[in-house]
Amino acid sequence: MATVANKIRKRTTSALAREEELLEQIDFKMVTFSLAGKDYGIDIMKIKEIARFVHFTYVPNTPPYVRGVYNLRGEIISIIDLRGMFNLPHEENERGEEEAGLILRLESNLIGVVVDKIDKVIGINSGSIQPPHPIFGDINIKYISGVVENGGRLYIILDVEKILAKKEEISEKGKIFPPLGLDSSSDIGQKKLEGSIEFKEKAHTDSSKSTGQNSAVDNDSLNLEFITESLLALEGFHVSLLNLDWIQSRYEEWKKERPAGAYQLATKQDSTSFLRPFSSPFTGGLWSKDYAEKLAAALPPDLGKQLHVWNPGCGRGYETFSLAVVLRKKYPNSIIKVWASDKDLLSVSAAPNLVFSPGEVPEWLREFMVEGKNGLFFSPAVKDMVMFEYHDIMNSHSMPPVQFTFARDLFSYLPIDYVKTMIRDLHDRYKGPGYICLGHNEKGTIEFGLEEITNQPLKICKIVG
Amino acid sequence: MRVEYINPFVEAAYSVLTEVLNTDIKRGELFLKSTSMSVLGVAAIVGLAGDVEGRVLFDMTHDTAMKVTNAMLTSMGMEAIATFDDMGKATITELANMITGQAVTKLHNLGFSFDLTPPALITGQNMEISDQRVEALIVPMECQYGRIEINVAVRER
Repeated sequence: MATVANKIRKRTTSALAREEELLEQIDFKMVTFSLAGKDYGIDIMKIKEIARFVHFTYVPNTPPYVRGVYNLRGEIISIIDLRGMFNLPHEENERGEEEAGLILRLESNLIGVVVDKIDKVIGINSGSIQPPHPIFGDINIKYISGVVENGGRLYIILDVEKILAKKEEISEKGKIFPPLGLDSSSDIGQKKLEGSIEFKEKAHTDSSKSTGQNSAVDNDSLNLEFITESLLALEGFHVSLLNLDWIQSRYEEWKKERPAGAYQLATKQDSTSFLRPFSSPFTGGLWSKDYAEKLAAALPPDLGKQLHVWNPGCGRGYETFSLAVVLRKKYPNSIIKVWASDKDLLSVSAAPNLVFSPGEVPEWLREFMVEGKNGLFFSPAVKDMVMFEYHDIMNSHSMPPVQFTFARDLFSYLPIDYVKTMIRDLHDRYKGPGYICLGHNEKGTIEFGLEEITNQPLKICKIVG
Repeated sequence: MRVEYINPFVEAAYSVLTEVLNTDIKRGELFLKSTSMSVLGVAAIVGLAGDVEGRVLFDMTHDTAMKVTNAMLTSMGMEAIATFDDMGKATITELANMITGQAVTKLHNLGFSFDLTPPALITGQNMEISDQRVEALIVPMECQYGRIEINVAVRER
């Protein structure tokens, strides 16, 4: 009997020893916490520290689970709410209340996550981690690296690298596979553009119905081809779908203005007078009340609390200030920032300190001006909205994403492909609906990723990418 | 680049160079550049932080650097140097510091707050500098010792 008892004792001690051995071999430590009443763990090697967060800085235009950024002893990190990310119920935090969280050290950066409650650090043997079962409800299985039992509680171990990688995947996807239709539309644009310059071909098909006028039409198409080339050489003006309609109707007028046969643009003087009617109203001057009201009416009713506006090609700044006042009146509760830039140093450097004589200021702008000893100038409230920059549009710029770009008559003077890239860039960088105001004689078409939402007299387009 | 920033740099470069070199300085046409550009041979770089982030680069050929150093040293009653040694490097670094310092003071008076980092000097052949997504303003300054290019690349924070 004694031997049997001994044997049993021996066996149990050896089993215990094995169990103890297993327990001793702690090779995985994790920080445990709770989300919506359930227990979770994260590998301690991924955790930089346990923190209590207070006062996030809200970042506009981010997904709802991004709480904002946080200043961690001088280092700025983004904070993600795991409960929000996994659609778990949680109470909205009272303002200023401290929240529990973890700072994760991931391959690429530091990131903070907000959780309900931090529990403790537990050590386990990695062999005891069970693979996740596909029917786990609350959190998508691909973010779970396993499940482990400890002290009678079941912990779900989260794979934080994958949770973060998901975000990167999305943004990369956005880059590699641009929104549907963009690729195809730019293709169409390319084809149509090639077509647009080949007036001759187009004219041929048009004229096939009336063979008698063949030679006249041929002449017109040839002339238009020459005009297209001259405008590019003499004025830097790119004929494209953006302005093709105008060029064609202008050519008809031009024929009436000019002596018969002398339709080509031989000199700079010719090209300048050909393009003279192209400019939008009030180019290089303050806008009239009527024009300002038309713009205000054409603008979308709401552009968000933080409104970033870009005014490239601002010249001497008359347009920029008029625009700033219109925006201020239209969106009184928004924080508005207008980035105005021009590559003409002389014009743009005078812009911040424009002085007007009382006679040249339209009445509707008077209330936004103050009187100085040299004349009238815009009040600090308006000036502070605008930042003038010496900038060449062909160079890169570090502007924040902009909702609204005011570029009358500018894109016609830039290479077509560059305009397309720029519009696509504006679209990619600003997540919500972005808008562009074109010149009066320009036309926003899908080939440029634009869709006109108003037509007359201001060409406001939605960027559709 | 914000237009308010341009003049302080141009004025500071002009006045400091005129003062320390005691010679006529001619300012060349300002221009913008975005792609990478070659460094002439000796470049002093000063970082900027505060309302903006960026850097100022003072770029000149080895020959110009030697002449400028000697002009500065002799004007202070010190001996001229024969090779571009530590003394030379310290002198060019100091010149960069003086110009940037004065520009930042001017900007401060206009209500912009900038901080400087200690200057660093880079010498060598066939070098290039590139700034991702920042446009650089080039202020060329000509004097009898050669051409000094002041390359300012800053962006708003």
